[in-house]
Amino acid sequence: MIGIRIALAGNPNVGKTTLFNALTGSRQHVGNWPGVTVEKKTGRINRNGHTIEVIDLPGTYSLTAYSADEVVARDYILEEKPDVVVQVVDATHLERNLYLTTQITELEVPVVIALNMVDEAEATGCTIDRERLSSLLEIPVVRTVGTRGEGLDDLLDAAVREAKTSPHHEHIVGYGNEIEAMIASLVGVLAADKDLGDRYPLRWLAARLLEGDENALAKVKESPVSSRVQDILSGTDLDEYEAAMADRRYDVIAAVLPQVRTAGARSMNVSEMIDRVVTDRYLGIPIFLALMWGAFELTFVVAAPFVALIEAGLAWLSAAVAGWLGPAWLASLVGDGIIGGVGSVLVFVPNIFILFLFLSFLEDTGYLARAAFIMDRLMYAIGLPGKAFIPMLIGFGCNVPGIMAARTIEGEKDRLITILVNPFISCSARLPVYILFAGAFFGAAAGAVVFFLYVLGISTAIGSAKLFRHTILPGESSPFIMEMPPYRLPTVGTSLLHTWSRGAMYVRKAGTIILAGALVVWCLASFPFGVEYGSSESLAGSLGRLLEPLVAPLGFDWKIAVALLFGLVAKEVVVGSLGVLYGTGEEGDALSTALLADPGLSAATALALMVFVLLYAPCLATIATIRKEAGSWRWAGFSVAYGLVLAWTLSLIVGRIAPFFLGGA
Amino acid sequence: MKNVIQGVFGAVLGALYTGFGALQIVAVFTGPAVPFVPASVFWGFVLLVIGAVLLRGARNLSRGLDDGIVFVNVGILLSVAFGAIALLAAGAGALEAAIAGEAWSVADAITPAAYLAVIGAAGSSRGAEGSSGGSVQHDATHP
Repeated sequence: MIGIRIALAGNPNVGKTTLFNALTGSRQHVGNWPGVTVEKKTGRINRNGHTIEVIDLPGTYSLTAYSADEVVARDYILEEKPDVVVQVVDATHLERNLYLTTQITELEVPVVIALNMVDEAEATGCTIDRERLSSLLEIPVVRTVGTRGEGLDDLLDAAVREAKTSPHHEHIVGYGNEIEAMIASLVGVLAADKDLGDRYPLRWLAARLLEGDENALAKVKESPVSSRVQDILSGTDLDEYEAAMADRRYDVIAAVLPQVRTAGARSMNVSEMIDRVVTDRYLGIPIFLALMWGAFELTFVVAAPFVALIEAGLAWLSAAVAGWLGPAWLASLVGDGIIGGVGSVLVFVPNIFILFLFLSFLEDTGYLARAAFIMDRLMYAIGLPGKAFIPMLIGFGCNVPGIMAARTIEGEKDRLITILVNPFISCSARLPVYILFAGAFFGAAAGAVVFFLYVLGISTAIGSAKLFRHTILPGESSPFIMEMPPYRLPTVGTSLLHTWSRGAMYVRKAGTIILAGALVVWCLASFPFGVEYGSSESLAGSLGRLLEPLVAPLGFDWKIAVALLFGLVAKEVVVGSLGVLYGTGEEGDALSTALLADPGLSAATALALMVFVLLYAPCLATIATIRKEAGSWRWAGFSVAYGLVLAWTLSLIVGRIAPFFLGGA
Repeated sequence: MKNVIQGVFGAVLGALYTGFGALQIVAVFTGPAVPFVPASVFWGFVLLVIGAVLLRGARNLSRGLDDGIVFVNVGILLSVAFGAIALLAAGAGALEAAIAGEAWSVADAITPAAYLAVIGAAGSSRGAEGSSGGSVQHDATHP
């Protein structure tokens, strides 16, 4: 078997991940790029005696070093030297995509172009002469339609052929006499350092230095030729060179395009039609809110029968286990601890999967990009770029990737604000708490209450961002440039795969962190020996009594105090802990019944509790991510303290005001 | 002629959506007064949004703006999408009642979002049958 490494590069939203999934199927491994928190996906294929490893590079518009994604993609090609780079090119946006091609070829690696979404280009009447394009660029160009798996065999054949036989492309852009002379003089100096020459293509390095690329400057900083490079660069206007070189790349593209592309008759396509309405100045935000509410209605109502089935199954299991297990303590450990704790979280699996399915559908159709666009005006008003809304949307799933997604934001203060407000976006881990309390105390209005909490989370994030912008992180937000991908009808398989990859994390957590949390809470509720399980005399009771004064003004008792404390590990543990403390392992909806029967709880207290869970300190994983992304414990500590103060204050207000609207319920 | 029909259809359906949306919201405060129009702020809001999209389309068509068709079509698309959500919710309610052994009535499934979507879908299919494959010209100056 011969091993070949293929790096999959391309602009965002060109169908790169869809093509990666189609190529590798389920043979994927997801991790992080070394030293950074940008997701790394690799997959393996066996084909015609070759073991092909496919690496999905982050989507980038260029290979400058303005964002972490660009640095990761560029450094992988430079340092790891894949056998071939397959650039996925969106046939409907050829000009912008070819800009990246001009930069990849400068890295002197074999390149194959996967001309993707050709069907969409053809639907607009546009035709692309692949052979002519291939001949002009001296790069193999293969037609692919990733969503239907078309062209995959041809693509792999071309990649293998190119990896094994093709000479390297040096470049396809000439920058003109003046710039070329500067590049030549820099290459002459850089060539004196053999180590640099071995590691990097010198023409590429010289061109980046001329563009004032900080990352490239860092690469030569330790070199013995560093001072001579600085001498050459010191008398030049690097910004001017950067602009001139970008112009030259577009000149080349402008010369190529008319020779390969025939534009169709220009009429409004379906994407443009939908965009005219959903990005409308007045209707855009109401439509977005209506769709998000639809998502929560589905999440709550459609999942209900499946939740009932799981509850029934757990009730049967709990009763059966109680019958099988002899010692009372063991029956309590399994029934109250494991089934009561983990089971009370697992029952919400249908809700989580339905929410993720809906969000995946909106994302895969291309609507979420529009959501960021329509929120731009609002975001700009609070001093953040519209791009900051995307990490917020991702935060609906989990705040950890939401915070990581802030890496695409260029401005340091913009990025920091986006990171700090992300924990207020209601992640899926908080959903079980809402469903439990809203379902128990608000009946048919539960969906509306959950929707209110999500809106409250977004409002708090926006309000906090404005506060930070005007106080601790003042400045102007950077302009928002974003591509609108065409609308696509996602396949059932793609949506289910996305849903599973996100939802499985929740299930895994139930079997690890939540199980551990439930066992700890069970131990605290059972010891010291001889006390009544879960009573105020138990260790849990003592701990709760210690914390109770802090939360008593909010109407919370010691059990809730303990649940909130353990909820810091993961928010679902709040439900798991209550399941253990109320000892509700043996009946399906016993926890809801127990909560309703608790005289210390009312609809107003439940609402205050849900607001507290929404806003109080982020979970441990999120805190660690904030520290890593913000670069200091100071910001992570600030996030925890700010969240606690805000949660306490707002919960107090809600707890006091709500009875007037809920009739003292 | 096709634009006139689309415009009238958008206006009538938009008025129905707006009216029923308002009724659903008002019912929250006054109690349900009309059969098959349950009280719900959020469903009322959704119906108002769909109504606004359809009425905007009708208004634009009445002014001779071709993009009115776009608003009417997207309004119908939203109508069908939310109709599907309403039906899914009703189906889930029936299933849950069956599992829990509770009472469930077909009347629970008859909500404005569901029955107005049937009108929208019917109009949409008639529109598709009568469509001659015309297109809206792109207007780069549109805001």
